Amino acid sequence: MDLPARLRQGNLLPFIGIGVVAGLFAAMFGIGGGVVIVPLLMLVAKLPPRMAAATSLAALILTSLIGVVRFAGTGHVDWIAALLIGVPAVIGVLIGIRFQRRLPAEWLVLGFGVFVIAIGLRLVIWG
Amino acid sequence: MGHEIEILALAAVAGVAGGILAGLFGVGGGVVFVPTFVFLFSFDQLDAQATSLAAIIPVALIGAWRQSGEGQIDWRAAVLMGGGAAIGVLVGAEIALRLDEATLSRVFGAILILVGGEMIVSSVRKLQAKRATPAPADGPRRP
Repeated sequence: MDLPARLRQGNLLPFIGIGVVAGLFAAMFGIGGGVVIVPLLMLVAKLPPRMAAATSLAALILTSLIGVVRFAGTGHVDWIAALLIGVPAVIGVLIGIRFQRRLPAEWLVLGFGVFVIAIGLRLVIWG
Repeated sequence: MGHEIEILALAAVAGVAGGILAGLFGVGGGVVFVPTFVFLFSFDQLDAQATSLAAIIPVALIGAWRQSGEGQIDWRAAVLMGGGAAIGVLVGAEIALRLDEATLSRVFGAILILVGGEMIVSSVRKLQAKRATPAPADGPRRP
């Protein structure tokens, strides 16, 4: 299939829009994009919960790379510290995914709801 | 120094915890990483956020690689969202300079609480519906 036909096949605008909104909130409130991307993927793009979480992680590859490049001027990236957290976090993400596969979708959404409320409360209380 | 080992151990625990959240919910883990860098390594907020983004890169890469093996990723959507986010970050940084951030944060926090509440209500309803009409393959069958 040629590219224009492929572009016509699916509506791509929602995904660009979700990205813009996630980037807006990330820059304005210093929160990660995932908190915005996952609910929007489920509500707007109607992706099932597991797919929304997985696709969000894939989008975060790009956003974190872009973020590091953007921050290179203003904030200092401490690569040693990044590795000290990042390497254990890679182990964590594999555990999290394994756990996610066994979790029924409803429980996943329930857990995410609690997580989102916790972040919301933090923003409301501490600004 | 015993103190350094303690810090390394705490960093590892925070890393694993953030990673588990990342794998479960598809967030980066920055929500755990940023405060860890601030409190454990005494970074200022900006350095903590920059370093957190760097720590998220391997998490997102390995996590996405693992999930894509299961066909859980819409790569087209991921790339478009990444591109959209690049635009959003630029615009958001401009807005943040002009508006009262504390008020904005509270409004956004309130929206998140509503979104989270909606997720909890809808998933509890689905769980109740499931319980009311159990799938035939599940559970012990009685004659």
